[in-house]
Amino acid sequence: MNDEHKDWLAYMDAQSRDKQMLFMNGIARKLNRPRVTEPPSHPFRGAPDFWQTFQWTEQERIEKFTDNFRSAGGHVLRLADMAEVRQFITDKSAEMSVKYVIRQNEPELDALNLESALPEVKILVWNSNSEQHWKACAAEADFGVVVADYAAAYTGSITVLSSKDKGRTVSLLPTVLIAILPVERIKTRLGEILADFDDAGGAHLPAGIHFISGPSRSADIENDLTIGVHGPGVVYALIVG
Amino acid sequence: MSGTDISASSTVKERADLALNNEFLRQAVRFTTERLRSGKMTAAEQHGNWEEWRERGRQIRLHTIAHLDYYLNLFADNARANGVHVHFADTAQEAVNISLQIAERKKAHTVVKSKSMVTEELHLNHALESIGVEAVETDLGEYIIQLAGETPSHIIIPAIHKNRYQIAELLSVEAGETLPADTAILAGFVRRKLRQKFLEADIGMTGCNFAVAETGSMVLFENEGNARMVTTVPKTQITLMGMERIVPTWADLEVMATLLPRSATGQKLTVYMSGITGPRREEDADGPEEMHIIIVDNGRSLQLGDPEFQELLNCIRCGACLNACPVYRHIGGHAYGGTYSGPIGAVLTPALNKNVAEWDDIANASSLCGACYEACPVKIPLHEMLIYLRRRKVENGHGSKLESLGMKGFAAVMAKSGRFNGMLKLGKWGQKLVVRDGGIKVKLGPLKGWNSYRIAPSLPKKSFRDGWRTLEEEIRHGLKDMDPAVKSRMEAAIKKRAEGASHSHER
Repeated sequence: MNDEHKDWLAYMDAQSRDKQMLFMNGIARKLNRPRVTEPPSHPFRGAPDFWQTFQWTEQERIEKFTDNFRSAGGHVLRLADMAEVRQFITDKSAEMSVKYVIRQNEPELDALNLESALPEVKILVWNSNSEQHWKACAAEADFGVVVADYAAAYTGSITVLSSKDKGRTVSLLPTVLIAILPVERIKTRLGEILADFDDAGGAHLPAGIHFISGPSRSADIENDLTIGVHGPGVVYALIVG
Repeated sequence: MSGTDISASSTVKERADLALNNEFLRQAVRFTTERLRSGKMTAAEQHGNWEEWRERGRQIRLHTIAHLDYYLNLFADNARANGVHVHFADTAQEAVNISLQIAERKKAHTVVKSKSMVTEELHLNHALESIGVEAVETDLGEYIIQLAGETPSHIIIPAIHKNRYQIAELLSVEAGETLPADTAILAGFVRRKLRQKFLEADIGMTGCNFAVAETGSMVLFENEGNARMVTTVPKTQITLMGMERIVPTWADLEVMATLLPRSATGQKLTVYMSGITGPRREEDADGPEEMHIIIVDNGRSLQLGDPEFQELLNCIRCGACLNACPVYRHIGGHAYGGTYSGPIGAVLTPALNKNVAEWDDIANASSLCGACYEACPVKIPLHEMLIYLRRRKVENGHGSKLESLGMKGFAAVMAKSGRFNGMLKLGKWGQKLVVRDGGIKVKLGPLKGWNSYRIAPSLPKKSFRDGWRTLEEEIRHGLKDMDPAVKSRMEAAIKKRAEGASHSHER
């Protein structure tokens, strides 16, 4: 970023701070009261009380997640261990004539040793060097392989969080998304996951938090359901454990 | 928006006539709204305790708006702490100016956009084009109507009014070859075409479904993945956000995430729900390097402190009121002429414009049947607001003589709710005579006093007032009191029509 642009941003930020005060004062004036500067009591925070205690057993969570994810057009497999994951990816790669795979840079995925399982396939590890144009790598990949951070059974959603080692585009640009989901990460409700973000606070949240509930879809042409409009058209959730 | 702005030119009557003459539009709107509406009802029923959830949604929205200075201030401070450049815009023009300044500083050639009603409100695409920046809508439906040079006709399905042959024709021009009218092929073409645009664009531009005050995060709901593209691939992100989009916490977001997708499309959750907290971190390899959030007033604050309209700010833009509204289902979105259509548009457009005189005819295009309120996931009393609008217009001296008469009659009826209900019942019976395809266009019987040219919807089979048992007696009296001669004439007319009717559109 050049200095001139930095100066401009600093100028805009200073203006914004002045404007912010006027803006908030204006709101308070229209509400016919002084500015509220202390946290107001918030008696109706979050979901209704009966919902906060709602829990499924692990078996129910697995079943409901599977049902919901499938009914949104996703695929779900229950696998015993990471060896089975390795086998699944190997078989699927052969079946779909995969040429490029991109995966997150995580120890669980290192351990799969896909390089030896798929010697013909180019396997890229996200952000493992500074030379690559990583977004372009993700765009040309056939498979994107990620480990889900959470899942919500009630909505059939997996959650992926971004970091240096976990690209946002890895779950977005490839044609096929393969998400490995350790069984203990499946929660019943969305709210159980969201609570962690409140607890973490803004300074400790990743830049990108993404809930994914099946393949990309659209019904914009004559209500005709189309899969894979922009994001992955094929999505596998591999429940492990 | 490049192209047709039909809003200013004509009255709702003229625009509705245009819509009513377009057979495909009518069928498409009815089919789509029915699909979404029944999807919503199924989803609400499956989820269970829907009333408790609605009430909780309403409480959270009410609380947030009542303390908006606190929460918006907190959001702005936290977003800034996350590295976002926050801007405030009182007017549409200010928001446009800030956006254009950023585009100019970035020497942008192309902006990719995900669906945003705020940017429609600001006519931002047009402004970007005026300084030589290409603005590309990337939501499939929005892309289609952008190619057609039109505006969205539905908040959730913007290209509801186009059939696949029209879409194939539009996309064939872009492709430089003839594409078949096959949904999968057309969508595949758009995927390839827009992939290029995502990768080459300088700026990604989004709206904002919700903004979490306590962490300074902005949240987007979508199904296609284009909003994720727009917030991940380009180096600069600009988010345009209505000042009222705030929720206090992620816990509160659970309630909105429960209500919004179910109410919009009947989904348990949209395919993607993304929470973006600041630009990419130093060590990240994707995500925008620079992120701007422009917080827009543009008439919203006019509702603050207004006891009749403040709840408008609770709206979460789900479109359920459109799908439930007999008028919308009949005339489609373009007849409303503003950025927002349906019952919410009928109230929001004049409210944001503070321009009762010009827009009030939309308020007349309503049945006041309450279906919008019943559909609303945060219980905004839209049907009551429509009455306030009509009253304000007359108070401001904008009512024509004829309309004033109509209002007087209306007030007299409302003053005695029994008579109103009786009128509704009578209307349901009498409308058989005048209904064509679910709408009423002639000036006859109990509806004639309302307005000389309004297009009344057919009344729902069971209105919300039907449940008021105490009034049943009055209603029955009302029905009995009908002149037997009039009744037999009406019956004869219905019979006659059933025998020989084949005309498609009556004037």
